[in-house]
Amino acid sequence: MDPALLVQMLIGALLGISVYLPLATGQLTLATPAFYAVGGTLAALLSTRWPVLGARIDGSFPLPSFLLELALGGALAGLLALLVGRIVLRLQGIYLAIATIALVEIVRVAILNLPFTGGAVGIFGIPQPFPSAAGYLLPALALLLLAGWVCQRLEVMALGRAMAAVREDELAARCMGIDTTQVKLTAFVMSAVLAGGTGVLAAHFLNTWNARQGSFDSAVIMLAFVILGGSRSWLGPVLGGLVLTALPELLRPVGDARLVLFGLVILSGPALFPQGLVTPGLLERLGRLGDPAGRPGAEGSRP
Amino acid sequence: MGGLAVLGQQADPAAKAVPAADAPNGALTIGGVIALTGNANLYGQDQRLGISLAREWAGSRRRQPGEPPLRPLHFQLQDGGSDEATAIAGFNLLIRQGVLALIGPTLSQQAFAADPIAQRRGVPVVAPSNTAKGIPQIGPFISRVSAQSSVIAPLSISEALRRDPRIRRVAVFYSQDDAFSTSETAIFQRTLRARGLTPVSVQRTQLADNDFQIPITAALQADPQLVVISIQAVGGGNLVRQLRELGYRGAIVVGNGMNTPNIYPICQRWCDGILIAQAYSPELDTPVNRTFRNLLRGSSPDRSPSQITAQAFTAYQVLFEAVQRLQRRGGLENVNLGQARKALMEELLAGQYDTPLGPIRFTPDGELVQGQFYVAQVRMDPGGRSGRFALVRETGVSGGAGGSASPPAR
Repeated sequence: MDPALLVQMLIGALLGISVYLPLATGQLTLATPAFYAVGGTLAALLSTRWPVLGARIDGSFPLPSFLLELALGGALAGLLALLVGRIVLRLQGIYLAIATIALVEIVRVAILNLPFTGGAVGIFGIPQPFPSAAGYLLPALALLLLAGWVCQRLEVMALGRAMAAVREDELAARCMGIDTTQVKLTAFVMSAVLAGGTGVLAAHFLNTWNARQGSFDSAVIMLAFVILGGSRSWLGPVLGGLVLTALPELLRPVGDARLVLFGLVILSGPALFPQGLVTPGLLERLGRLGDPAGRPGAEGSRP
Repeated sequence: MGGLAVLGQQADPAAKAVPAADAPNGALTIGGVIALTGNANLYGQDQRLGISLAREWAGSRRRQPGEPPLRPLHFQLQDGGSDEATAIAGFNLLIRQGVLALIGPTLSQQAFAADPIAQRRGVPVVAPSNTAKGIPQIGPFISRVSAQSSVIAPLSISEALRRDPRIRRVAVFYSQDDAFSTSETAIFQRTLRARGLTPVSVQRTQLADNDFQIPITAALQADPQLVVISIQAVGGGNLVRQLRELGYRGAIVVGNGMNTPNIYPICQRWCDGILIAQAYSPELDTPVNRTFRNLLRGSSPDRSPSQITAQAFTAYQVLFEAVQRLQRRGGLENVNLGQARKALMEELLAGQYDTPLGPIRFTPDGELVQGQFYVAQVRMDPGGRSGRFALVRETGVSGGAGGSASPPAR
């Protein structure tokens, strides 16, 4: 498979986890594209306008500067989430979703109109830390493994359990002494940091960055990653992000009908798998398969 | 990491030998990455048509006596979508399949994403419709046959001011979230300022807008004598119609976004009289443009020739002619694909071409040098359903092959 497509798939998976994290506390936010755009714009600006980072005339870019950008992009997005989260996380359900859509629009219009972000054309000629697209596989995979590891750790940590408690019943969680605002805010900031870092990666990978990258349309696609993959485990949005990013490309041999088929997949996914492809039940069955006691013949093989 | 680098190199067949012209597999492949889906697909459909007409034209070329055989060309089309990621995927796929050169992508924003990939792999790109500043500067393998708006846009303003030198009050409209419209309006406004005219009203709209009552009302309060519009076809057509319906009677100059017959059904009889500068005129009376129009009439009798179609035709034509010249000089013998790509790029930039756009050539860095540009006025049929871009002035630009401004010879 084309390494560039693999990188795009990994970026999809990272954005899927970013939408999943607030959902793990029961909060439907669509703010991920805003933080993705903040990270991407920061990387585009720093690497093209700030000579200290060492972009060379041949279009190459030192790796340490790229890693510094990753950290800065994540930090800036996280800071923005901290400021905005305090206000918008007072809202719930559809109202929260609408408030976060507004955030996406504000960031988009700001990037479009700021004097230094290149207007509608955007910023182009972003220097490359790697000689080919395959180079991006390593940082993208590392970022995904790190995010996955954090999500996996959360399952056994107090914070993760508190997140699950808030998702199941916020009032009951508060009665048990959980600072629900803090829990929700933490998940929101983690989601933003991840989206910001992904934006930095994407800006270099795409060679160019403009206001269209973080739009409401992309929010809908990222939400589809989670809905198709399943929102009860971090593996769900990863699978959703990988599959839904790859599918339009893998369907190219079909020709003009490929987007029709893609639409059918998005439609039939929730119809056939209402809880997504990856459900807690499926993970439990897989876990039992991996366990020697769960081999065929033992209790795991019951129909 | 080393394994990944190998993975990247294996994906490029540049080291494979180019087959001989008379071998059974002697055909070389040109790739096209064009927006067939997404919001740029209207342009993509016109481009697909233009390339298919050019292939018909190329297929009918006969070998002259004494000439070596023509090098057959295949064409492989991929959907570039209207976003950056899909264009990148399309470029990567075709480069991996071993194309000799690429045509595309449709939007300038996509070009800034995908062209660096072709540049790094050393694959020649001819852009049929990228008008943003800085496209050929992406690298030596990137060229275009679409003139920058900075060359074309001022011509229509000059024509409007020539018709009515008393114009002092100008209103400007543009969609602020569209890359093409924002760069074009900057040129329009710079041209106006150079003529001593400061816009009395500048109205910003969005790409998706179709109702312009509020900005029009605001602009009409300043009582403009000329309205200059940089908005894409559908929105722009609606704006012109609503301007007239709300009582504006003055001159209208529109930008390249409305340079398509697709506006006729939208603004209907209200389109009549609007001025537009064009890089292509259907009324240009040269053999190759007659051939282009005849081919179009034969394949789609209901479509009028448009600039986007003519530019896509031109993109394929220049590649075809450059390949054949290279073939005649023996530049495709005993070379691998990577060397053939490099030789083709040099041949492409060195050539002169007689195209439906008029005579063209390239600067050494791949920028288009086009001799003639045109100012047209829309003339609608009495029924108001259909019309034409009537050529009112043909302009030679310095550095090009043409002469100075003159009325068209018709």
